[in-house]
Amino acid sequence: MGLVIHRLLLLLACVALPAIALANRTAEAQIKAAFLYKFGGFVEWPAHAFERPDSPFTIGVLGADAVATELERVVPGRTVQGRPIAVRKVKRGESLAGLHLLFVGVAESARIGEMVGGLKGQPLLLVTESENALAQGSMINFVAVEDKVRFDVALPPAERGQLKISARLLAVARKVIPG
Amino acid sequence: MAALVYRSVQRKLLRAVLLSTLAALLVAIAAMVAYDLALYHRSWIADLRTQAELLGRSSAPALAFDDARVAQENLNLLRYRQQVRAAAIYSANGRRFASYAIDPAQSFPALPEPDAVRIDGDDLIVFSRIINDREILGTVYLRAEYELYDRLFAYLGIAALLLVVAMAVAFVLSRRLQRAVMQPLLAIANIAREVTEKRNYALRAQKLSEDEIGQLAESFNTMLAEIGRATRDLEASNREAAREVSERRRAEEEVLRLNAELEQRVRERTAQLEYTNGELEAFCYSVSHDLRAPLRAIDGFSQALLEDFPADVPEDARRYLNRIRTSTLRMAQLIEDLLNLSRVSRGELLHQEVDVAEIARQVVQDLRHREPGRNVEVSIWDSMHAHGDSKLLRVALENLIGNSWKFSSKAEHPQIEIGLLRDGSKNTFFVRDNGAGFDMAYANKLFGAFQRLHSVNEFQGTGIGLATVQRIIHRHGGRAWADAKPGKGAVFFFTLESSAAASAGLRVPQSEAA
Repeated sequence: MGLVIHRLLLLLACVALPAIALANRTAEAQIKAAFLYKFGGFVEWPAHAFERPDSPFTIGVLGADAVATELERVVPGRTVQGRPIAVRKVKRGESLAGLHLLFVGVAESARIGEMVGGLKGQPLLLVTESENALAQGSMINFVAVEDKVRFDVALPPAERGQLKISARLLAVARKVIPG
Repeated sequence: MAALVYRSVQRKLLRAVLLSTLAALLVAIAAMVAYDLALYHRSWIADLRTQAELLGRSSAPALAFDDARVAQENLNLLRYRQQVRAAAIYSANGRRFASYAIDPAQSFPALPEPDAVRIDGDDLIVFSRIINDREILGTVYLRAEYELYDRLFAYLGIAALLLVVAMAVAFVLSRRLQRAVMQPLLAIANIAREVTEKRNYALRAQKLSEDEIGQLAESFNTMLAEIGRATRDLEASNREAAREVSERRRAEEEVLRLNAELEQRVRERTAQLEYTNGELEAFCYSVSHDLRAPLRAIDGFSQALLEDFPADVPEDARRYLNRIRTSTLRMAQLIEDLLNLSRVSRGELLHQEVDVAEIARQVVQDLRHREPGRNVEVSIWDSMHAHGDSKLLRVALENLIGNSWKFSSKAEHPQIEIGLLRDGSKNTFFVRDNGAGFDMAYANKLFGAFQRLHSVNEFQGTGIGLATVQRIIHRHGGRAWADAKPGKGAVFFFTLESSAAASAGLRVPQSEAA
């Protein structure tokens, strides 16, 4: 009797696990997309970052199509600091001009250092989701903690980009590398 | 008495002070408590709203990035504020994101409410929206102690204590202050009592203070002086009145004593007079009586001379003898009248019912019999009665009617009327004639003895008749008087008690002295 139940549970696990994994992946993209535009509310950009007072807040996504798709779904109607939000999928090697926030997916994590080198003081909030990304110059890096999406913050690169990250945001960061 | 007044006034003052203190305290405490409670209410609400706002601000990133731990940490900071019983943060979709409660059994609202502050029993509940960058991220819920009633009760306790202490202080203070007020009053009251008890208006209240009570003392002193003066005046006038009264009494006593003395003297004199009168009358009677015998002898021997020696007596001697006899007769008549007068004055009156008209008729009949030649018209009223001595009344009527008869002798038609005028119990009899009359100037001499208004040559008479009449009438308690004109006749009146009045026992004092 106990054996039968054990096998049934095993079978159920074999069938259900991939579905759960898929669902988790979608949920993770949703959460990260939400976090991305919400970061905009806790970071201050220099005035010259925007061409006009009503210029949109532009989020670029590189190597994370799921997140980009999710972003495009949630941003209409929302604002960051009174500005509409625009989402742009960025391809490898493409110019980063006009972007205010760039999310680099794990697929492109190898290129982080290169991109940081190309910023040259541009006020661009760089968000990543790979280990050691902060060491390569990323400003905010997503980490998974007990099945939850959390993030670490590194202040020195942000300061180099003239970005002021709110202390309130730091309060919810898992780890902060001070400037 | 004074102590009682003092105590009651003091009690009134004390009550006034305590009542005003109480009223002032109550008003002040009520105002302070009301102000404080209102302030507490406002500031506590403002405080909690600030708290909620701060919580919201600090928890906004936690909500945004789904970090319940941070939100929880924020809420846990409330443990330093024990007044906050419970707190919670709801996410934008109404789910309870984080919660905190002192009491683990504390329940939370299932759904958040929009921005609101309300009082739920002893708790103040605050809902505050968390808005970041124009986006509603969630709601802060705070449930805190609302100590308005506790504070109110605490205040009431403090107020009660304050009242007790303040009233005690006011009591002690006012007792002490009142002594300053009451001392002068009490002094005046004591003086007033002393004045009342001892009637000593020389006492004066001491002026202890320069205020209304001092004025009272002055007025009181002025009044005392006034009363003292008035009392002295009154006593003086009383003494004066008493002196006058005693003087008057002494004078009255003197008068009474003099009266008594006078009466005594009158009695003595009267007795002397009566005695002398009696002696005189007795003398007169005996003299008159004794005179008759020699007179009879003179007359008798004169008659004997004329009758026994008719031839031997010359004509001249006969004439002398006749004149002797005439004089003797006149003297006899005189003596007779004197005896009559004397008799009238002496002896007891025999009171009885007298028919005056009948006596008058008999007198007139005697007169007609004595002088049959005279023609006199006499009218006598009927039924004239009186109470008296019939013999004496007869003598009186004989004299009066005899006078009228005599003095009307020269009239042409002599008329005599005897009548009676009734006036109550008084009967006034009158005898009227149309004879010679007399001059009223001599009316006062009319009733005296030996007083004659006419000469003997004109009318015969001794001058004793009217004196006799008056004495008789006086002895009956009556009065006699006359009215006349010369040549026109005369009326003689006399009053007598009616028989009815006399029988009723009204005795008129008799003039024995007359």
